[in-house]
Amino acid sequence: MKKFKVVNNKTHSVCGQAEMMGRAVYTQDYEVPGSLVLKMLRSPHAFARIKKIDTSKAEALNGVKCVLTYKNVPHVAFSRAGQGAPQPSPIDKFILDEYVRFIGDEVACVAAINEQIAEDALKLIEVEYEVLEPVLDYKTAYKSKNVIHPEEGISQAFEMGFRPKDNVAASYEMEVGDVEKELAKCDVVIEHAAETQAQAHAMLEPHTCNARLDEHNRLVIYSSTQTPFHVRRIMAQTLGMPLSQIRIVKPRVGGGFGGKQQFHGEMFVALVTLRTGLPSSMIYTREEVFASSYTRHPMYISMKIGADKDGTIRAIDCHALSDTGAYGEHALTVFMIVGSKVLPLYNKVKAVRFGGRVLYTNHVPAGAYRGYGAIQGNYVLESAIDMLAEKLHMDPVELRKKNSMKEKETSPIFEIMGEGTKGTAMIMESCKLPYCIDRGAELIGWKEKYPRKQVGPHKVRSVGCAIAMQGSGIPFSDMGSCAITLQDGGFYMVRCGATDIGQGSDTLISQIVAEELMTTVDKVIIYSSDTDLAPFDVGAYASSTTYISGNAAWKTAIKMRERLISEAATMLEVKEKDIIFDGKTFKAGNKEISLFDLSNKLIYSAPQHQVAVTESYIGHVSPPPFMAAYAEVEVDTETGEYEVLDYVSVVDCGTTINPMLAKGQVEGGITQGFGMASTEEVIYNSKGQLLTNSFLYYHVPTCKTIKHLTTEFADSYEPTGPFGAKSVGEIGIDTPPAVLCNAIYNAVGVRINSLPITPEKILKAMKEKEGK
Amino acid sequence: MKLQFFLNGTDVVWDVRPDEYLSNALRRHGIFSIRVGCDESICGSCTVLVDEKPVLSCSVLAITVNGKHVTTVEGIQEEVARLSHFFGEEGANQCSYCGSGMAIIIHALKKEYKNPTDEQIRDFMVGNICRCTGYHSQFKAIKAYLAEGK
Amino acid sequence: MSLRANNYYKATSLDDAYQKLKDNPKNAIIAGGLWMKKTGLSYETLIDLSELHLNEIKVNKDEIHVGALVTLRDFETNPEIKKLNGGATSFGVSEVVGPAFRNTATIGGSIFGRFPFSDVIASLLPLDVTVKLYPEQSYSLEEFLNIKGKVDGILTEIVIKKEEGKGYFHKVKATSLDFAMVNISISKRNNKHYIAVGSRPLVASLARKAMIEADKGDFKEAARLAAEELSYLDSNNISKAYRQDLVKVYVLRGLEEVNK
Repeated sequence: MKKFKVVNNKTHSVCGQAEMMGRAVYTQDYEVPGSLVLKMLRSPHAFARIKKIDTSKAEALNGVKCVLTYKNVPHVAFSRAGQGAPQPSPIDKFILDEYVRFIGDEVACVAAINEQIAEDALKLIEVEYEVLEPVLDYKTAYKSKNVIHPEEGISQAFEMGFRPKDNVAASYEMEVGDVEKELAKCDVVIEHAAETQAQAHAMLEPHTCNARLDEHNRLVIYSSTQTPFHVRRIMAQTLGMPLSQIRIVKPRVGGGFGGKQQFHGEMFVALVTLRTGLPSSMIYTREEVFASSYTRHPMYISMKIGADKDGTIRAIDCHALSDTGAYGEHALTVFMIVGSKVLPLYNKVKAVRFGGRVLYTNHVPAGAYRGYGAIQGNYVLESAIDMLAEKLHMDPVELRKKNSMKEKETSPIFEIMGEGTKGTAMIMESCKLPYCIDRGAELIGWKEKYPRKQVGPHKVRSVGCAIAMQGSGIPFSDMGSCAITLQDGGFYMVRCGATDIGQGSDTLISQIVAEELMTTVDKVIIYSSDTDLAPFDVGAYASSTTYISGNAAWKTAIKMRERLISEAATMLEVKEKDIIFDGKTFKAGNKEISLFDLSNKLIYSAPQHQVAVTESYIGHVSPPPFMAAYAEVEVDTETGEYEVLDYVSVVDCGTTINPMLAKGQVEGGITQGFGMASTEEVIYNSKGQLLTNSFLYYHVPTCKTIKHLTTEFADSYEPTGPFGAKSVGEIGIDTPPAVLCNAIYNAVGVRINSLPITPEKILKAMKEKEGK
Repeated sequence: MKLQFFLNGTDVVWDVRPDEYLSNALRRHGIFSIRVGCDESICGSCTVLVDEKPVLSCSVLAITVNGKHVTTVEGIQEEVARLSHFFGEEGANQCSYCGSGMAIIIHALKKEYKNPTDEQIRDFMVGNICRCTGYHSQFKAIKAYLAEGK
Repeated sequence: MSLRANNYYKATSLDDAYQKLKDNPKNAIIAGGLWMKKTGLSYETLIDLSELHLNEIKVNKDEIHVGALVTLRDFETNPEIKKLNGGATSFGVSEVVGPAFRNTATIGGSIFGRFPFSDVIASLLPLDVTVKLYPEQSYSLEEFLNIKGKVDGILTEIVIKKEEGKGYFHKVKATSLDFAMVNISISKRNNKHYIAVGSRPLVASLARKAMIEADKGDFKEAARLAAEELSYLDSNNISKAYRQDLVKVYVLRGLEEVNK
């Protein structure tokens, strides 16, 4: 392993202390005191057309300053997805619309001088609905007579199979080789299908934004967003404003996980503040976070896997249906990842096929969510691999090792599938997956514990495993940039677009810059994510931060070092190549100048100029992080209840820029993924209302959920990454559903094919099996 | 209504509505450590001490703390700085929205037990949801913090 | 919707509080105040009982008197309560969410609400508990739970009879912040078994037939009966049948435990 001084060493989060100590750091803390409070009237119907809406009584209420309905806001379709341009999601949402498409959809927005008046005003809005028959099952939504998007003016930026008249938001098909032919030649074919639920992000800070006009009447919005630059661009287009008149500031964000990649209240605070001239604020209630923001895409995925008797996997056939809910945010891109970041794991196949549809329903819209597509695909694929191992009488660990990706190998899928578009061919320059598999097996004690041990009259312990891959940003799409200025006093000001949403990007970018400039993190002052003051970055999504933004920062720091040497050479009147710089002093023979003196002279004596550099980085590949995961569970055979005794993760994400934060990403991902696998049940009633709309009913893991986590990193170096790093934000979340499913099967012989895997489902399946 | 109480040791008099919750009143007066995560008595991020006992400020009517002592993270800054050092050591602060509430609960834990067992630590932490870390690093940080100086 | 109330009133006596409560159907007593905003109701006057010394636990030779405003946390950590029922009563109450929640929630609020999911009610039901109200009324806890319609009065205290015994409490839950799928609470004292099952999702009840069978020593049959004699319902995340399965398992385990 290469030796570093700052990178790959322990560095505390640069903002953790201020946050914990209660400083004003989050979006709500920046609200202008006395701001108008925005409250939303939301649809009580899963699908309806507004026949009549009368807001006169609400407007007449003392203290109400503005009421927005579809009649008085711009009627311009846009996508709330918060992606680059051209947008790979259907352009299918209006700020407010004549149609409401799920219970919780926006009907009218009230701005009043306080919360009580705003709430009272909501009750005074009279709405007459034409209630329409909703579509509540995505499996039967295709070509239903009930069309969710019958309206004019919606579109797709490029061909993505968007067929609103058929309730199709997007569709995709691909095939490498001839799958049918290969499957026919296989000794063993496994067929498997399973379903995933609409997991909630449940970030602790609710979606929050506030607006004010600055002294030049520019619109300034503080928002808990993952994508400030996309918000500015899409808002300008939708509201018909020049980009130059909008500034988006992202303060500290209290968790995002993809849920804040999309728009939330930004359009509404913008319109209210533009119309009234007054500052305004909108904070989602917890119920709104659950029922009126976004969820993970529920999916039904079926797979066929064919193999030879010796365990060589020859073909994989995967078909999926996805539920995007009422609007198509990330419909296509999430769907494609089910194939593109899952199927290449088993790259030795002769043929692979993937395809299916993403359907509109009258459910809460689905959107970006950490591990999107990958966690759904991984659950089904990695369950099927265990089924295949059983049929082949092979150890599932051995089967995985035999068939999975290795260093210097590739998969044809990389070139065919990207995110919404064509992909990019790439060779795995770093892939320590075989090591991860072996090391994880050793840590969990696979040989001794597989498949099960009876430990009490009604207690069984077992182990389960799965492997996973992700990506590091989207090649030729995700761009990050960074600007560094040398300040007098010899420290650096770093401005970057990378969006810290709690994952720690400010910290690791400081480390990257400090490492390259041979200094310490305290000499690097970082300011990020403000469209007025920071250079462009796509934002925090698609595991792009470490790799894309990190590379941008590294590139900029390298440029700064070169500039410093050139400035020092001029000042010392020596050649650049003769200068040795150790981060503090420039030496050439017997001449030397300290960085401190250089920085002061540059500003105050000669040549009196600012040393500033800016660089951008666009990925040409997306090197996947890999991991192997194992869990030991204890199952109560009388009740189906289980607990996780240990969850072992061995991860290859190249160099860990910040080992503790990288570990935090993995462990946080594991726990969130485990919530999806085990307790985060999503329940709609027959009218399409989300019932699990509160922490009282939606059960995220607590500190008692997983007894122990063991997390290690493989010694790995990605040559295209900053100091050898790959991204690590999503990989952790991918494995828990499959690992748990496999461990439960190994314990009690039943495979649970819908998430979450609840004790009740386990017990029921056990009884059915006994009954047979 | 007039509310008189001791906020972090200082005698204050505020005007509050009869139906106003303590979380709202505190934030309205610039006590930003109150992070309201759920506003429905579950997530724990708005935890404060009332007469040295941790309570959920989103669920206590402001007027009911009349005459009492309310302590927030602003009142125990040195202690929280120390705790946050251990969180930093373990990489246990990600978004940190839960951090202030967690700091208050750990303050209460430390008061109640001299040498808490793992089970007792978890019994205190359990009402404070963290969606980022998976709790493991927080747990280790808290243990190290409690062990300091022993 | 945020909580709405026009006035706040600090009662000077129980009678004062009761009169105020009767004044207007939109007046209400604040107990802990948790989840009041979840009800979406508007109130005229909120009545505070905090001056009435209802937050005390008093112990005499035979009884423990627990004031209505005693918090769950003060209750569960009280040394006398810890001794009760082999520690099972204290443990049961400690299963409610986290300590900050339990520092706000009160014994009176938990019982007066007669919540189906209540771990507090389930924990107490197998014991000899009297519920006292103002104006002067006294019910066994079981009677109190069975009162049809609205209870007229203010819950002032509960009185728990001190008896030597062994206890068992088990809450089946998805996570520690979850409501119980079922909660099973058992007390064995003077060679008699008391078995309560709550969150079915109906308010806790004593399983009387099961208790008789348990006294005879047939724990398996007792467990089967407990799953049969009480009514169980499907709720969103859990079926009636699974609830019954859980009750069968945990009543048996509980009976074995208290007879060790």
